[in-house]
Amino acid sequence: MKTKTYLIVCAAVSLVVSLTILFVPAVSDTLEGAMLAFLATYAR
Amino acid sequence: MNVLKIVLQVLGILILIPAVAIATLRLDNQNADGPSILFPGGELVSGELYTGPEPDWSFTDDVQTVELQLVDPLSSRLIFVMESEGKVYVPSGYMRSTLGKIWKDWAFQADEGNGLAVVRIDGTRYERQLLRIKEGPVLDGIVAKMGSKYGGGATATPEAIQAGRASVEAGDIWIFEMAPRGG
Repeated sequence: MKTKTYLIVCAAVSLVVSLTILFVPAVSDTLEGAMLAFLATYAR
Repeated sequence: MNVLKIVLQVLGILILIPAVAIATLRLDNQNADGPSILFPGGELVSGELYTGPEPDWSFTDDVQTVELQLVDPLSSRLIFVMESEGKVYVPSGYMRSTLGKIWKDWAFQADEGNGLAVVRIDGTRYERQLLRIKEGPVLDGIVAKMGSKYGGGATATPEAIQAGRASVEAGDIWIFEMAPRGG
């Protein structure tokens, strides 16, 4: 992938991820729960 | 070379997604009414503001975490809570580690600033002032409660209490009393 195309893809992915977290109700809670489970398991 | 470039690009996207997710969650929560599980929140605005006499804090024995908000800077987080001899305390661990210096900025801010805070427990807000307890026999009861409440439920042994008190006096764990304001 050319660099310019790659940067556009990165920007688009960032936008989609951010908007999904902000506007899809359960996503943020699910993600935090997953992060907490990961930390509880491995952060000793 | 082409394959390496593709691998690096895919790796970049795989790192970007969680980084953006964490940044979005952090930014989304920073002005919220209270903290989430992992990310600090903003000002505690909802809930009755308690204005009566000093409560019996023993009810906090059944409370795992409280929402603690500093007045300056304005941010809130979930914190453990311990009652001992009629007073209520919050801890902050890892204070001499690199992790603590990054993560526990609220404790440094409370210690270096005026310590004014609002704590929300079971939906009720209490205006308090954080006073750091660095040493003294008062730590025995606090450490014992912290050990029994958050360390598996067993009564803390004298050795465990002594070790916990040593950790506080060495600065590894900071203990703040949530005292009445102006008291």
